[in-house]
Order: sequence, then structure tokens, then C-alpha cells
Amino acid sequence: MSLLQVDKLGVTYPGQSQPALHQVSLSLARDELLVALGPSGCGKSTLLGVLAGFIAPSQGRVLFAGQPVTAPGVERAVVFQHDALLPWLNVHDNVAFGLKLQGADAAARERIVADTLRLVGLADVATKRTWQLSGGMRQRVGIARALASRSQVLLLDEPFGALDAFTREQMQQLLLRVWQQSQRGVFLITHDIEEALFLATELVLMSPGPGRIVQRLRPTFNQRYRAGEDVRAIKSDPAFIALRESLLHSLFRQGHEEAA
Amino acid sequence: MSTSPTTLIAVPDSLDTGTPPAPAGRRWQPQATHWAALSIAGLLLSWWALTASGLIAPLFLPPPQAVLARFGELLAGSYMDATLPQHLLASLQRMLLALLAAVVVGIPLGIVIGVFPLARHLLDPVIEFYRPLPPLAYLPLIVIWFGIGEASKVLLIFLAILAPVLIATAHGVASVSPLRQQAALSLGASRWQLLRHVILPGALPEIITGVRIGLGAGWSTLVAAELIAATRGLGFMIQSAAQFLVTDVVVLGIIVIALVAFALELGLRRLQQRLTPWHGQPH
Ligand SMILES: Nc1ncnc2c1ncn2[C@@H]1O[C@H](COP(=O)(O)OP(=O)(O)OP(=O)(O)O)[C@@H](O)[C@H]1O
Ligand SMILES: [Mg+2]
Repeated sequence: MSLLQVDKLGVTYPGQSQPALHQVSLSLARDELLVALGPSGCGKSTLLGVLAGFIAPSQGRVLFAGQPVTAPGVERAVVFQHDALLPWLNVHDNVAFGLKLQGADAAARERIVADTLRLVGLADVATKRTWQLSGGMRQRVGIARALASRSQVLLLDEPFGALDAFTREQMQQLLLRVWQQSQRGVFLITHDIEEALFLATELVLMSPGPGRIVQRLRPTFNQRYRAGEDVRAIKSDPAFIALRESLLHSLFRQGHEEAA
Repeated sequence: MSTSPTTLIAVPDSLDTGTPPAPAGRRWQPQATHWAALSIAGLLLSWWALTASGLIAPLFLPPPQAVLARFGELLAGSYMDATLPQHLLASLQRMLLALLAAVVVGIPLGIVIGVFPLARHLLDPVIEFYRPLPPLAYLPLIVIWFGIGEASKVLLIFLAILAPVLIATAHGVASVSPLRQQAALSLGASRWQLLRHVILPGALPEIITGVRIGLGAGWSTLVAAELIAATRGLGFMIQSAAQFLVTDVVVLGIIVIALVAFALELGLRRLQQRLTPWHGQPH
């Protein structure tokens, strides 16, 4: 059963003539990792904003477990590229923040926070402040915070966009591990084609003017990784490269149509 | 690059980005405080040289030793019926009372202005109307309305501190990262929790900066405030001395105000570092 259901969603910002999103339909199940890939301005963040309940749809609807989404809710946790952690709290308290707000029982909270910190490999830096961490560690705190909350879906907006290639690859593997172990649906935004192909169980390619879905894929590389295959072997597999080039080609064609 | 032009793949030693910095502590390096001390020493020395040369009459600029002697004398002895510590205490009381009031009024009001656009639209003209006015311009009105008692003096200083505290608080609150707020909302924060746990701590560095600026503005109106029928206070002491051309007391008063203001500023800077160590860090 799908957790999140998006039907013919349209969003037009006030004062804009062209919609930011047009006729977008999607669904996300608990065991899925849905990736939205597309160039800047194609409406990815707008889509995430609607799923999270920050932006109201102009057309269509968004359902979570059958109920219309009208406001932010704890079942849909977000992770942004940066700026979203609380620098006056240490790593542990940042991760505990959601449960604290929700008034969770202290003992249960401590157990969940400790488990989550271990899952993302942050147990050793629990007492550090977030601004004392590297960029990759900070993103792990963001993911841990979203996991520790009572979320059922994680919504990630270019979470690894500001990281170097090496850290980015490590984080992709960490995300797969987290996704597998935590039993959450994941919606991830990226403009990195390799990242999208490697992570997605379901991939939508978006295009701007108006923002819409132009292609849907079901890559299988994520399964191969989970079955034990090496990352570099997967990413240099001819099948992976062929898909990557085909997506790149689609993106460039979009660019040309845009310019014409 | 130390590699030869024909090397296409860098060998490990060419990855070395340069020699490591020389070990610290070998050579003495002047620090910020040393430069500051040098600057002050230079100022004092030129002051002394100018007065010792006899180029300037003591009436215009008394020598440092005369001011120092005055300082010693006024520690116990009185000028205008009060000792220097008593003058200082009177002024400090006014300043701190005004500061306290400005913080108690300014921070909550600044939060309201920062959170509610309507409050900003309504209050912005009022603040921007009185803020640029020189305190001496509205001093007569304050005397007419509130008399010549202690309240008027404190009110004048309060108004000077209030504007920077209000503006900094409102700006700090309004510029808390929207992503941080959205993330907190999706973790289940209520509006009150958002304010308490995200917006206020996020605005704290700016609020403290506002208080620092406000305190400076407060000191600069002290003399004006003590024009109002005061019998004690550093500002009053300076004005009285000026009327009788007792220049060394004038200079002494100026130096004491500067030192006390600087000490308070240092205290606030330290507080800011303690409370908001993330300020200025990428996070
Ligand atoms: N608050 C807003 N008001 C008006 N227009 C907006 C607003 N936010 C986004 N837009 C516009 O909507 C379109 C989609 O923006 P969005 O941020 O969703 O794109 P994106 O795919 O996330 O881009 P990027 O990859 O650069 O983050 C853009 O044309 C943008 O200019
Ligand atoms: Mg975006």
C-alpha cells in the first residue's frame, strides 16, 4: 500500500504566470526509495514542500495514508542540504529534538536516540556541537534527527548536494543502509544523475517550464548493491553507464528545447 | 607543482601541498591586545609630550599627571558635593535601570514585530520617527511631560537603548532560516515551541549585538540626561566642571565614562561568546 499518493498536482506561486508544477502524479510505498531528478528550477523543492505540507497545492491533491496533507506532520520528516540543524544543541540533543517536542517518554527517547546515533555512525560525537562537525557528519545528524522522530517517510532535498564526491558516495551507501533498516519510505531530490540511478527503486525525471514529470524509470542498481555487489563495479557497469548517458541526453535535449 | 611536465599522474610526494607552517611559539608574535596597548600608550605619550612642551595651556588640555592627581583627590574628596565613586554610581544606576527596562520592553516587542508583519507595519514608523532625533531635541518635551526627577533621566537613556534592541531583535527573529523552521515544524513543533526552541535561540546573537549597540547609544545620551536638574552623575560632573573651566575634571569624567563603557562592552562580548559560541561559524 502506498503511504504518499500525489494526484495531478499543480502548484502556481502567487504572481507567477507559469505553474511551478503541472499534473504531477506519484506514489511512494513504505519499501520504496523514490528519486526526483531534474535541472534547477524544475520544481523539485516545490514538490517536496507540498509533500511536507509547507506549500498548499493549487490543483490536485496529496494524500498520506489516505488522508489529505494540509500541514507539516511528524510522519513526514524533512532533511535539507544545510541550515536546518540547531547549532545551540549538541548532536545528541539535535537528534532527540523531535521526540522532545512530541513529548516522548525520556527513557524511550534515550533508547531511540542511542540506536539512531549508532545506525548513522555518530555515537562517538554525540556531545559535539553541530558546527564542530564536517559537512558529511552534519548531514548524518539531519538524517538521524528525521529518523529518530516518529516519521514514516523521509523527504530529502539534495541532502548530499554540498558534499565532496568521496563523502557523497559514503553517504549514499549510508542512506541505503538506513532506508533498509528503518522501514521508511524515502523521497529524495537530486540533480546528480549517478546518485539518482544508484539509489532509486523508482526514478522520475522532471523538466521545467512548467515543472512536470517527463520520464519514469525503475533502476535495479540499488538491489544489486544490497545483494553485495561493489559500488564501483555497479557504477562502472555498461548498463549503468548506458542509462546515465541516456538520462544525460534527455536533460540536454530539455535544455535545447528550453533555449529554442 | 614540483613534478616535471612529463609526469601525468601525480606521484605521492607531489601531493604534498607545501612545507608545514613553522612551529608556533618559536618567535614572539604580537597579538591584538598588544597592538591595542601600543595604541593607548602612544596616545598617552603624545598627550604627555604635548602638555609638557608647553605648547598647550593646561586650561585647554591639562597634563596627564594633573588628571591623575584629580582622580586620586576625588576618590575620597568631593567635587560638587559628591566623590567620583558617588558620581559614577549615580550614572551607573541610571544606565543599568534604563538598560534593564530597554531589554524587558525591547526584546518582547522586537519579537512581536519580527513575528507579525502587521505589528511591524504599525510600529516601524514610530521607531523610525524617534530614532534619528538627537536626545537633546526631545529633552524639553520629556521634562514638560515627566518633570525633572529621576524618571526623566532614565527615560531619556532608555529611549536611546530601546531602538537598537528593538530593531536587532525584530531583525534577528525575522531572519531565522526558514528551512530550520520548516524542519522543526515537520518534527512536530507547535508555534510556541517553534518560537521558544528555534526562533529565539536563533535570534540570540543578534539580540545581544543589539544590546551592545544600545548600551553605546545609552552612554552617549548620559550627559544630556544629566542636564535635567541632576546633583550627581558623571555627566553632571563634566558639565559643572566645564562651566567653571575645570578642565582636568572634564577630562577625568570623559576617561571614566570611556573606561566603564568599555568594561561593560567587554563583559557583553564575553557573554555573547559564552551564550552563542556558534555565532559566525558555518553550521
Ligand atoms: N516562493 C516562490 N515564489 C515564486 N516562485 C517560486 C518560489 N519558489 C520557487 N519558485 C519558482 O518555481 C520554480 C521551481 O522552483 P523549485 O525551487 O521548486 O525548483 P528546484 O527544482 O528545487 O530547483 P533547484 O534545483 O535549483 O533547487 C522556479 O521557477 C522558481 O523560480
Ligand atoms: Mg531545490
